Amino acid sequence: MRRVITASLNGNAYQIEDDAYAVLATYLENAALALATDPDKDEIIADVEQAIADKCARYLSSHKSVIARAEIDQVLTEMGPVEGGGPAAGPSVAGAAAAPGGEPAGAIGGIGATGADSGGTARRLYQISDGALLSGVCNGLAAYFHIDVTLVRLLFVALVFLTGGMAIFAYLVLMFVVPYAKTSEEHAAARGIPFNARTLVEGAKQKAAEFTSGGDWRQSRAEWRAEWRRTRAEWRAEWQRTRAEWRAQRRVRPAPFAPTPPPPPAAPATSHVPYAAHLVTGLVLTLLGIFLAVFTVVWVIALVSLVTTGAMFGWMLPNGTPFWIGIIVMVVIYELVAWPIKALRHARYQTSPYHPWRGPFDGVAGFAILAVLLWYGYHHVSTLHDFFEHVRSFWETTVDA
Amino acid sequence: MSIDQKFAPIRKGLLEFLVLRIVSGTTVYVADLLKRLAATEFATQEGTLYPLLSRLRREGLVDYQWQESEAGPPRKYYRLTDAGRAQLAELDQYWTQINKTISDMGT
Repeated sequence: MRRVITASLNGNAYQIEDDAYAVLATYLENAALALATDPDKDEIIADVEQAIADKCARYLSSHKSVIARAEIDQVLTEMGPVEGGGPAAGPSVAGAAAAPGGEPAGAIGGIGATGADSGGTARRLYQISDGALLSGVCNGLAAYFHIDVTLVRLLFVALVFLTGGMAIFAYLVLMFVVPYAKTSEEHAAARGIPFNARTLVEGAKQKAAEFTSGGDWRQSRAEWRAEWRRTRAEWRAEWQRTRAEWRAQRRVRPAPFAPTPPPPPAAPATSHVPYAAHLVTGLVLTLLGIFLAVFTVVWVIALVSLVTTGAMFGWMLPNGTPFWIGIIVMVVIYELVAWPIKALRHARYQTSPYHPWRGPFDGVAGFAILAVLLWYGYHHVSTLHDFFEHVRSFWETTVDA
Repeated sequence: MSIDQKFAPIRKGLLEFLVLRIVSGTTVYVADLLKRLAATEFATQEGTLYPLLSRLRREGLVDYQWQESEAGPPRKYYRLTDAGRAQLAELDQYWTQINKTISDMGT
């Protein structure tokens, strides 16, 4: 099954497969770029869209309502790259003259060539939360310097030891000062690559081609991961769009959006559930936000004290345990605590009209698992038991003092 | 470099001349133009032709009219304006002169 996008070409709707749509969008974007200085840009684009639509029409019949990628490629090859209107501007007729008998990809390649020098984006340091371990500082640095994030993290841990914990403060400062990359443009700027749809599409196309053509497994895996990240980004964009639509619909109608009318007896109940879910998640989220902030501060203090003195809250690491194990355990603990909270935060967005309690349920389930783990650790793992006892006595002495 | 590549800039420059010539005969729409050019060394594509026609129209050399088609949406039919006709006459003359210059040159 393929996703289909409805696109308007010169005022008429056409059903286009998603990858074909991406190619078409790139073509039109490049056309707009080439005509940027043309006073009749809009009119030419309309003509071009109409010509594309006419060419697409021959692929459509009463049995076929969707335009496929190969068909769009063929249509755009016939169209040829849109050239600037100036007498000297744009590539020559040569490519076009060669096209009828020649390689179909030639014309598409021409599009790439015209856009290739359309300016790079200045590289900026951003935090990238996608795939981040803590806040995304290392992730952002890795993107900025074009090196592997694992290397950055190892360097950071090494720096923590070398500077006696000062690197953690540097991390904290960066965490609060460096903005998050939120939009696609910012993600591109974080890597210093020029942003436009063509680059994205061609990058993806190249990766897909390399991936299918084989190569050694490490490379394939890296590409697969890149592909997966891209897909995830698309999904995210889609649910954000869905969410925005849903919100818009909520604003218009006080009753929640229900594509199929619910059975009459259930109607009053369902109409209240999303609102209640929002209220509860909102309230719980505020509390959890405060909790997470406090927890983070305590965690950082504990980490600093672990690194500088080898103990936290008066509790020493068991004899012979290297520091780095302590650090890894700390990171795992942080993730364990932060994970349910993050799940709940996402619940705010996932609160769809169909499963209003699913998101909160995930978060609550996460907490339950955490609680069970802690309880089990407290009663059955002596090291953990000692740790909690130390934390308790440390807490009591602090409160008393 | 093949002859084809060497003459690419010249063909590009001459495309306007050829379009004016085609339009001077009868009113045409873009598909007609492409068909007329396709069999020649000047084969071109919509991507080139639409911006070119738009510029010629802006310079007042050609003009278009919307006409209903048997199938599909109305089409733009282009025709030569008086200014275009004058320009074409000049171009014809210039072209003849260039050809003469070339053939007079050398042996």
